[in-house]
Amino acid sequence: MNTVNPAADPTPGAPVPAEKGVLIGDEERAEAAAAPAPAGRRARRDGAPAAQPGVATTGDTSQPVVRIRGLRKSFGDLEVLHGIDLDVHAGEHVVLFGPSGSGKSTVLRSINLLEEPNSGSVCVDGVEYGPGLPGEKGSGKPAKRGKPIELRRKVGMVFQQFNLFPHLTALENVALPLRSVKGMKADDANRKAAESLRQVGLLQRAAHYPGQLSGGQQQRVAIARALSQDPKVMLFDEPTSALDPELVGEVLRVMHELAEAGMTMVVVTHELGFAREIGDLNVFMDAGVVVETGSSELFDHPTDPRCQDFMRAVR
Amino acid sequence: MGITSYDWGLIWDYRSELLHGLLTALEVSVVALVISVVAGLGLAMVRLGKAPFTWIAAIYINVFRGMPALVTVIWIYFGVSLVLGINFTVFQAGVIALSLLYSAFMAEIFRSALQAVPHGHREAGQALGMRDTRIFFSVVAPQAFKIALPNVGSMFIGMIKDTSTFTVIGLLEVVRVVQNVNAQTFQPFVLYTAAAAIYVLVAFAVDLLFRVGEGAFSTPPKGVVSKMLRGRKQRRIEALVAELA
Repeated sequence: MNTVNPAADPTPGAPVPAEKGVLIGDEERAEAAAAPAPAGRRARRDGAPAAQPGVATTGDTSQPVVRIRGLRKSFGDLEVLHGIDLDVHAGEHVVLFGPSGSGKSTVLRSINLLEEPNSGSVCVDGVEYGPGLPGEKGSGKPAKRGKPIELRRKVGMVFQQFNLFPHLTALENVALPLRSVKGMKADDANRKAAESLRQVGLLQRAAHYPGQLSGGQQQRVAIARALSQDPKVMLFDEPTSALDPELVGEVLRVMHELAEAGMTMVVVTHELGFAREIGDLNVFMDAGVVVETGSSELFDHPTDPRCQDFMRAVR
Repeated sequence: MGITSYDWGLIWDYRSELLHGLLTALEVSVVALVISVVAGLGLAMVRLGKAPFTWIAAIYINVFRGMPALVTVIWIYFGVSLVLGINFTVFQAGVIALSLLYSAFMAEIFRSALQAVPHGHREAGQALGMRDTRIFFSVVAPQAFKIALPNVGSMFIGMIKDTSTFTVIGLLEVVRVVQNVNAQTFQPFVLYTAAAAIYVLVAFAVDLLFRVGEGAFSTPPKGVVSKMLRGRKQRRIEALVAELA
């Protein structure tokens, strides 16, 4: 078919310096990737992503912070994810992009189980949280599965609609989860919350309510709220899509600083200029599959026709 | 028959009886308000929950929303005594009737208020790793309460008015007092006008009270009450900011 995986290295096990992420997709691409060095679907699913023949890899052999295998999700009779495989290593910035309805937000929301996958492995920080893969030993359920609430305490998320709590001040928005999740005392929580607000440049707005803040400021508070929980990975679900154009910059600037500070990030965005700057691994999705992946050169030289069409359309 | 044939002085002469009637009506209504707010919140949560409990709640709501207060209180006061042999006082029967009726209305008010809180706020709480009960009490309930408050106020006015039907079981509320005084003075126009005025004035007062209550929850704080309640908190945050800046 037309699917191409530029990250697939013909030499098994050879490191690919341009790439830091490992990303492998549906069966079609599995075939394409497997062509130079045949490797079964089963083999890829078993874990040990880096050194396997036929697997798109960066040579980063460390255990990924997020490892997704065979992720499938249906809404009613409609399957919207047809088997996604994605690795995110510590410090990496992964960008998911593609047309609306391609499933990129669903992938993101599956990482912290806001969407419960129908099947597949969602492994975060070495613990399995997903429903498991069909054909695994047993009934498809992994022997040991972590609780969603424990998963979510390791993963920060920023939403398109900010989702600040409107009845609380900016400071309280950050401090409430510090008290209820981390069990901090009110004074300590307030102090830490104020530090987080300072990080996003909004310390002076601490006593303001969300309704008194601009969209960009609200989103920065939301970022501070997620950050203050000290997550292992931050998920951004179209963080600038609900903003007026003149407010996009301030949010991207904060995210840029975060990326430079080494935070592990998975970002769903239409801001391809920003993606080019921070994306270690850029993932183009369409119709529930990963179509093409690559480093920033993906934006200049997409090889798959669907990706090329998309680039033309957004340019 | 000129206006002079009406003895408006009667209202002043019987002021203590009338106020006593009003007090009784308010007592019944306030107790029933507290009960129906709590029961209504519970019912709303059951209604939003899983089958078969949601059906039971739906049946309850539709039955008691459809029952007139007059019928309900006769049913409680005489019917329950007849069938179960339990004899309520008129005060108890009034409270029970109002609570049964208005918890059904409150359930619908709270259900719509809970549903009006954007789902994204729950998701944000979940994504932060907060427990469901904590999300409910710290995120959803405060917002829903603010949305529900004006409607709860309207219900409270309705409850006070419905106590007038409890005259049939002999509760000494405003209308019963008016009837008693009328039996001695034969001035129904004057006395029922007084009753109407009392209900309208009370409705105004309740409306005012609930408006102040709504103001207390406004964000950002608006009005004296809201600033009084949250001024200290606000100043504490500002002090912290000044210290760290």
